[in-house]
Amino acid sequence: MSARPLRVVGHPVPRVDAIEKVTGRARYVTDLTLPGMAHAKVLRSPYAHARVRRVDVTRARARPGVFAALAGADLTWCDPYYGPAYRDRPVLAIGVARYEGEPVAAVAAVDEATAEEALELIDVDYEPLAPVMTLEEALAEDAPLVHAGQPPAGHFADLSTLRPRPGTNICHQFQFARGDAAAALGGADVVVEDAYRFPPVQHVALEPHAAVAAWDETGALTLWASTQNPYSVRVELAKMFDVPLARIRVVVPHLGGGFGSKTYAKLEPLAATLARAAARPVRLAASVPEAFQTVRRCASRVAVRAGFRRDGTLVAVACDADYDVGAYADIGPRVVQKGTYTATGPYRVPHVRLEARAVYTNTTPGGAFRGFGVPQLAWALESLFDVAADRLDRDPVDLRRQNFLAHGEEFAPGDTPIDGKLEESLSRAAEAIGWTRAPAADRGRGVAAMLKASVAPSVSEAIVRLHADGSVTVLASAVEMGQGTRTVLTQIAAEVLSVPLARVTVVQPDTAVTPYDQTTSSSRSTAMTGRAVQVAAEDVRDQLLAIAAQNLGVAARELALADGAVVAPARRLTYPEALALKFGMSGGELIGRGVIAPGRTAAPLGGSTPFWEMAVGAAEVSVDEETGAVRVERYVSVADVGRAINPLLLEGQDEGGVVQGLGHTLLEEMLYADGHLLNGTLLVYRVPRADDTPSELECHFVENADGSGPFGAKGAGEGSLIPVSPAVANALARLTGVRLRDLPLTPERVWRALRARSPRA
Amino acid sequence: MLRPFTLHRPETAEEACALLAGLGEEAAAYAGGTELLLMMKLGLLRPRHLVDVKRIRGFGDIGLEPLSGRRLTIGAAVTHRAVEQSALVRARCPLVSSVARHVANVRVRNVGTVGGNLAFADPHSDLATLFLTLDASVELLSPRGRRELPLDDFVRGPWETSRASDELLGSVTLTPWASDTAAAYVKFGVHERPTLAVAAALRLDGTTGAGRNGRDRIVEARVAVGCVSLKPVRMAAAEARLTDLSIGDLDDAARAAADAAAAGVDPADDLYGSADYKREMVAVFVGRALRIAAARARGAESAARFPHTVVA
Ligand SMILES: Cc1cc2nc3c(=O)[nH]c(=O)nc-3n(C[C@H](O)[C@H](O)[C@H](O)COP(=O)(O)OP(=O)(O)OC[C@H]3O[C@@H](n4cnc5c(N)ncnc54)[C@H](O)[C@@H]3O)c2cc1C
Repeated sequence: MSARPLRVVGHPVPRVDAIEKVTGRARYVTDLTLPGMAHAKVLRSPYAHARVRRVDVTRARARPGVFAALAGADLTWCDPYYGPAYRDRPVLAIGVARYEGEPVAAVAAVDEATAEEALELIDVDYEPLAPVMTLEEALAEDAPLVHAGQPPAGHFADLSTLRPRPGTNICHQFQFARGDAAAALGGADVVVEDAYRFPPVQHVALEPHAAVAAWDETGALTLWASTQNPYSVRVELAKMFDVPLARIRVVVPHLGGGFGSKTYAKLEPLAATLARAAARPVRLAASVPEAFQTVRRCASRVAVRAGFRRDGTLVAVACDADYDVGAYADIGPRVVQKGTYTATGPYRVPHVRLEARAVYTNTTPGGAFRGFGVPQLAWALESLFDVAADRLDRDPVDLRRQNFLAHGEEFAPGDTPIDGKLEESLSRAAEAIGWTRAPAADRGRGVAAMLKASVAPSVSEAIVRLHADGSVTVLASAVEMGQGTRTVLTQIAAEVLSVPLARVTVVQPDTAVTPYDQTTSSSRSTAMTGRAVQVAAEDVRDQLLAIAAQNLGVAARELALADGAVVAPARRLTYPEALALKFGMSGGELIGRGVIAPGRTAAPLGGSTPFWEMAVGAAEVSVDEETGAVRVERYVSVADVGRAINPLLLEGQDEGGVVQGLGHTLLEEMLYADGHLLNGTLLVYRVPRADDTPSELECHFVENADGSGPFGAKGAGEGSLIPVSPAVANALARLTGVRLRDLPLTPERVWRALRARSPRA
Repeated sequence: MLRPFTLHRPETAEEACALLAGLGEEAAAYAGGTELLLMMKLGLLRPRHLVDVKRIRGFGDIGLEPLSGRRLTIGAAVTHRAVEQSALVRARCPLVSSVARHVANVRVRNVGTVGGNLAFADPHSDLATLFLTLDASVELLSPRGRRELPLDDFVRGPWETSRASDELLGSVTLTPWASDTAAAYVKFGVHERPTLAVAAALRLDGTTGAGRNGRDRIVEARVAVGCVSLKPVRMAAAEARLTDLSIGDLDDAARAAADAAAAGVDPADDLYGSADYKREMVAVFVGRALRIAAARARGAESAARFPHTVVA
C-alpha cells in the first residue's frame, strides 16, 4: 500500500483558506463582537525602571461607561503572576515597573474612546529607578537588579534545568561540554575567534496581539485569542484563577502572523482578569507600538573560538553567549539553552565548551522568534567559519563540506542521529548560485549553513472523524497563522483516506474541542501534528478495512482505500455503505485517534529532537561603496525537508523566511536611548519591503523522505531565515574585504567599516 | 486611538478662517489627514474641531497664476496623486510631477495634500526641498486678509511655520525654470521619510553655441538640500561653484560643489543617521544629483541605480 503513488501529498495544491483570506472574509480575533462586550485599554509605564508607589484608579472607576479599572494591587483575588519559564511577570505592575511600556493599570469600558479617556484619570506615583538597558550594564558589578527575589518556576517541561544566579541579573545559565575544548584549542594549528552581536528585533506580525475573554455564569472562561499555543495559555489561566483545565476554553481563529510572538500567554491574562472584574466579555487588542512593548527577539553578544587542524578539520569550539531577555523571562531561558545547544552548527566537533547566560534588562521582554536562539549563534559561527577558511586558505564551501555531520551520525549522546544530507543541500546551493564561476566584479558571494533542533519532548494529538456521508473532520490544535498548516493537515487526511480535499474540514483550534497540541512553533506542526493526523486517519482506515473485511469476507490485507471506497479485488464498498453496514442505519461515525508523544530521553535537553532542521543559504551581494548600502541581488535557500507535503506552501514559507532574515541582516534593530525605545512604530522601524527582496530568490528542497514526520517529512520554516545574515556578511567580506560583527548591516555601519578599511593591496 | 471630534466642512476660505479664529486652540485645519490623524491617534494633538479644507473653492485647483500667466499655482488641497497626474504640472514643472510619484507611499499620496505637507513642515519634506529651487511662495488667508510669503520664510524649522493659528494655507506658487534647464531630484533613506534629499537645477545658456546642442555654459545653478538641517536650504556656496562653468567641466566642479554643500548643512545625530554620516552623504548625493542633471543636459539618462535611492 505504501508504494501507491501519492494523490495530494507532495502536490502544490492551493491553500484551502485562500479565498476567504483574499476576499477579506477570514475572521480574526479583532473581528469578533459579543453581546455586552467591553473594550480595554492599558496604561503603560513611561519609565524603563520605576518604583510604583501608588496607583489611584478611583476617578477612572467612577467615570460613566467604565466597567472596571484595575491596578496591580487590586489583584488579590487571583494569582497575578504568569510566565512559562518563571512566573515572574505580573498581569499589571506590582510595586515596580521593569520596562517602558509595562502595563501598570487597565480599564474596561463601553467603548475604546471611553476606556482611553479613563486612563487619563488614573494617577500613578512613580519613583524612577536606575535602569539597566544593555548586557554590559546588566552584567556590571553592582548593577541595579531587574528582579530582586527569585521567582517561582513556570510550567515549561524542563523547568528543573533552570539555573538563576541570585543577586545578579542572570536568570539562567546553560553549559554544555564534550571532550576538552581548552586543551584542543591549545593544540589546534589554527585558532580563530571573534565576538558578534545580534540586535533586538520585533516580529511585526501584521496582526498585533489580541484577545477576547468571557466568563460564563458557571465560572468557566472562554478566550478567543491570537495565540500560537492555546494549550499553554490555558495552563497559565488555570493557575492564575485556580480553575480546572476543563473549564477554560481557548479558541483560536485565523492568526495574522505569529513568528513566535504569540507563543505563551501575552495579553490573555490581562483580558481574562478584566473580564472577571467587569463581569462581562472584554476585548483587548494591541496596536503595533504596543506589540513592540509586548515581546521581541532576545538580543545577543556571542564570543566564539574555533580550532582547526592544518588540513581543515574542525577540532574544537568554545562559545560564550549572553542573551538579553529583557524585563521578564518569558521563554527566554529556553531560547538560550536551545540555541546554545546547537552552537556548533551542522559540524562534527569533538571538543566543545558552550556557556550561555540569559540576562534580565529593563527592556521589552525577549521571547521566541523564528529560529529560537539559533540565528544569534549561527551569525557568530558561520561568520567565523569564513574567517577560518581565509586563514586556512580554503574555499568556504569546501571547508564546510569537510566538516559536516554525516547522515546517521550522532549529534550528542542520546539525541536523534542526523537525519538529513547536508552535503546535498550545500552542493545544490553552490550550484544554483554559481559558486565555481567568478561573480561580476561588483558582486560578492557567500554561503552559510544551519542546524536546529525542534522542541523535545513534545506532544501532539489528533482526532479524525469519518461521517456517514463519507466526509471527514480533522480535530487538531495546530494554529493556522499563514504558514498553511490547515492545508497540510487537510492534504494528509485526504491522502490517507483517499477522499478529495474538499471533503475534509480542519476545525479551528479550540481547547474544548480539538485535542492537545503543545505548540505551533519550532517548525513542528507538519512533522508532529501532521503525523498525529496521519495516525488518526490510519486508525479510521483500519476500522474501514475491518468493516469491509467482515462484510465482504475478504482478508483486510487484500483491501485498499480508493476514491472514497474500500476496494477488494472484485468489489467496492463506499464509505457511506461501510458505515451503514456497521451501524445498521445512516448515522454514527468512525473516530480515529493519533497520539505522537516520544517522551523524555537521555538526550542533553531532556528529549530527542523529532527531526533536525537543516538548511544552507547562498547570497550574492553588491554594495554602494559611497553610501554603504548593501543590496542582496541573488539568494538561494536549500532546505532538507525530507518530503515537501506542499511544495507551493513550502516555497512561500522559505521565501518569507529569507526576506524576514534580511530584516535583521540589513535594516531592523530596536534602538533605545535614555531608557526609551526610539523606534517602536513602523514609520521609523523599517522591515523589508517588496523592493528589498533579491531580484533572484530561489528556494530549493532536498527530499529524501528521511524524516520522522508523515510521508518522510521533516519540519521547515525556520531554516531558511537562519543562514541569511552570515551568508550576506560573508558575501560582503569576500567583495570588500570588510568583516562586520554587528547586525544589522545598515548603510551607515557598512560605510564606517569601509572607510576604516586599510587600503587593499 | 482617535477621539471624537466635530467636523466642519466650509466651502469658502472666509468661513474656514472664521471657524479657525472662533474655535482657537480647539480647532485644526484638516486636509488629507495623513499627518493630523496620526498625531491625533498618538494623542499628540487633541483638536475637538476639524475644519476640512478640501471643499473650499479653489483649494483643489491647479492653474497658471493670472498675473504672470507663467507661474504655476497649486491649491493647498491638491493631492500628491493629482499633482502627479496633472498635464499642466507635467508641462510647466516636469520634475514636480516626477517627484510627486515618489512622495511617501501610494496610500498617503492618494489623500495627502501639497498644503498639508508644507503646513505640517516635517523636516523630511520632499516638496519643501524641491520647491526651494522653484522660487516658491505661499499664500496665507485669514480674517485679516491675504498675504504671500516666500517658502523659505514660511518654513521656519521642524514642524514650525510662520502661519498664524487662524491662517489657512491657500496655495503654493512655483516659478517654472527656463526651458534650457536640466534638473534632477535624488533622495536617499531606508525609512518612510527620506534621510536626505537633493534638488539640483542647472540653467544652460542657449546662445553661446559652444558645446553640444549649443548649450554649454551653466548660467545659473540651484541646489537645495532637505532633511538634514533644521529646514531645507538652498546651497549658495555650492551654486556659486557651478555658475559660469562649462557643463563639460562639471565633473570636477561637482566635487567642489558637493563639498561646499556638505560644509553648508547642519546635521544632528538622530534615527536617520549620525551627523558625520549625513554630512558625507550630502556630498555624495549632491554630486550624484549634479551628474544626473548634467547627463540630462546632454540628453542622456544615467543608467546608474543606487540602493535605497530614488531618482526623479
Ligand atoms: C507614512 C508616511 C510617509 C511619508 N513620506 C513622505 C515622503 O517621503 N516625503 C514627503 O515629502 N512627505 C512624506 N510624508 C508626508 C506627506 O506628504 C504628508 O503626510 C501629506 O502630504 C500631508 O497632507 P495631508 O493633506 O494629509 O495633511 P493633514 O494631515 O490633513 O494636515 C497636516 C497638517 O497641516 C495642517 N493643514 C493642512 N492643510 C492646511 C491648510 N490648507 N492650511 C493650514 N494648515 C493646514 C493640519 O492642521 C495639520 O497640522 C509622509 C507621510 C506619511 C504618513
